[in-house]
Amino acid sequence: MSNIILEASDLSFFYGTHRGIKDVNLQVTKGEVFGFLGPNGAGKTTALRLFMDVMRPTSGSAKIFGLDCREQGVQIRQNVGYLPGEFNLYPNMRAKDYLSMLASLRQTSPDNRFRNQLYERLDFDPSRKMRTYSRGNKQKIGLIAAFMNKPELLILDEPTGGLDPIMQHVVAELVNEAKNEGRTVIFSSHILPEVQAVCDRVGIIRQGRLVKTDSVHSLIEQQFKRFRIFFTSEPPIDAFSLNGVSEIARQDKWITLEIASNMVQFMQQAASYGIEEIESLPVTLDEIFMSLYSDEDPSVRAKDSHA
Amino acid sequence: MLNLFKHELFSRRFAILGWGIGLALFGAMYVGIYPQMAEYLPTLGDIPLYQSMGMNMGSLEGFLASAVVQFLPIMLVIYVVISSTATLAGEEENGTLELIVTMPLARWQIVSIKALALSVAILLILTIASLGSTATFIIIQNMIETDISVLELFVAIMSSWPLLMAFLMIGLFLGAYLPARRTASMALTIFVIISYFGKILVISLPSLEVIKFLFLFTHFDTSPEIFSKGIQLEGALILLGVAAVFFVLALLSFERRDITSGLWPWQRANR
Repeated sequence: MSNIILEASDLSFFYGTHRGIKDVNLQVTKGEVFGFLGPNGAGKTTALRLFMDVMRPTSGSAKIFGLDCREQGVQIRQNVGYLPGEFNLYPNMRAKDYLSMLASLRQTSPDNRFRNQLYERLDFDPSRKMRTYSRGNKQKIGLIAAFMNKPELLILDEPTGGLDPIMQHVVAELVNEAKNEGRTVIFSSHILPEVQAVCDRVGIIRQGRLVKTDSVHSLIEQQFKRFRIFFTSEPPIDAFSLNGVSEIARQDKWITLEIASNMVQFMQQAASYGIEEIESLPVTLDEIFMSLYSDEDPSVRAKDSHA
Repeated sequence: MLNLFKHELFSRRFAILGWGIGLALFGAMYVGIYPQMAEYLPTLGDIPLYQSMGMNMGSLEGFLASAVVQFLPIMLVIYVVISSTATLAGEEENGTLELIVTMPLARWQIVSIKALALSVAILLILTIASLGSTATFIIIQNMIETDISVLELFVAIMSSWPLLMAFLMIGLFLGAYLPARRTASMALTIFVIISYFGKILVISLPSLEVIKFLFLFTHFDTSPEIFSKGIQLEGALILLGVAAVFFVLALLSFERRDITSGLWPWQRANR
């Protein structure tokens, strides 16, 4: 049986003439936590809405559990928990009634014990009318609605929006628990440390195109490396003017450099000034993200999108 | 599904009570003032304005048909415009629809549940409104001479339900077809106004006779004979037929709708 939970093939959506997403190809496997990264307006929400059949693709297709999102949406959604990026609640309804109603729309019998656990863990009182809740509490309702039936696939659009750091941590725990139970999670975010903390793999979406998909580890490894080197003799200012090498700081004989390519040439050149000490400095996902976004030509990056 | 229906109906409870009681009081007021107005009413029967509007105020039957049977649905149609366009387009705009459509329900089920809840809500409003008029009629019955029975008055008022259903389903269709609630609401309001004044114009301009079937109010009997003849089955069936057609159109439109995209139908993908 195929291990692929979600598959998008040349998936595109246009808002009239405006680009939503373009030619997105993606596979997410069972038990994986996949993060969609991108700034506002990049197309993350559009992609997630297409997976949930909220909108229909202009071209291409998406499959979940091997079923077509457009034709077999009802069957798919039996086993998908979805948190929209922006949503509103019925103001005069109590949260517990709303959640009971949503739970009853599924064929599986609701797990009230787990729902009560979610109330406790998210420190949420479901007895109030929904108009009285703060932004964060409304987000908790959406999260409980997504998690409460323990679906095989969770699609979460900006799940920690409006939550305090403690609750953000609880959400990360819930995502990890789902992963440990062999369930799959896809979530979008522009909070990079959060993505780095919970995701196995990320897809970076830019101007509607998926410009890079890779494991968080590989992405950090491949993009560039950062070293702090202590030289025996201080190299001149233009000593490392190689393509793919940039000097970012200098203090006496300590020089910090970022190296994206030409590593061998660089090392040969560096050795000529005498290397006494070398430190590898961590590169965060934030920096990878920013480096990908500062690239002027998206088509170059788009070639890597099937990685 | 039943829970969603219950929610849809329950969330309208204040509207049902508010509109129901308000219209019950409106009907009760007109029925209640009849004994005091009875001696002046025959003189109103000759007023050209009333005649041009197809109103015959010269008798109790004419008075009730014009002031109560005709005007109750005209006021209730305001609620129909508001609620029908608020149901799909409105819920999409205020952000409550996305979580519902991502539940394991087919889109036709969502539209059907909402349409059913709205239909029941309008039936309940109309029933409460009718009870107000008929209760007052029971009180004044011994003060006047009339052949109208309480049941005939009740049925006459309830006979506007097919007309309201037709407007309701047109509103639901417009909400599913057009990108924004305000557009749907505006289109339905214009259609209601044309339907009403079209019926009046046909009385003075016989040349419009050929298109009078388009004015939905012409299929709703507000003549004094409604009490003796009962509901005109043909008109009611035409209106329910219109409702059925637009319900199907609403299903088809919502099936193709890209929710949250705000797109016009021709901008949507052909899938």
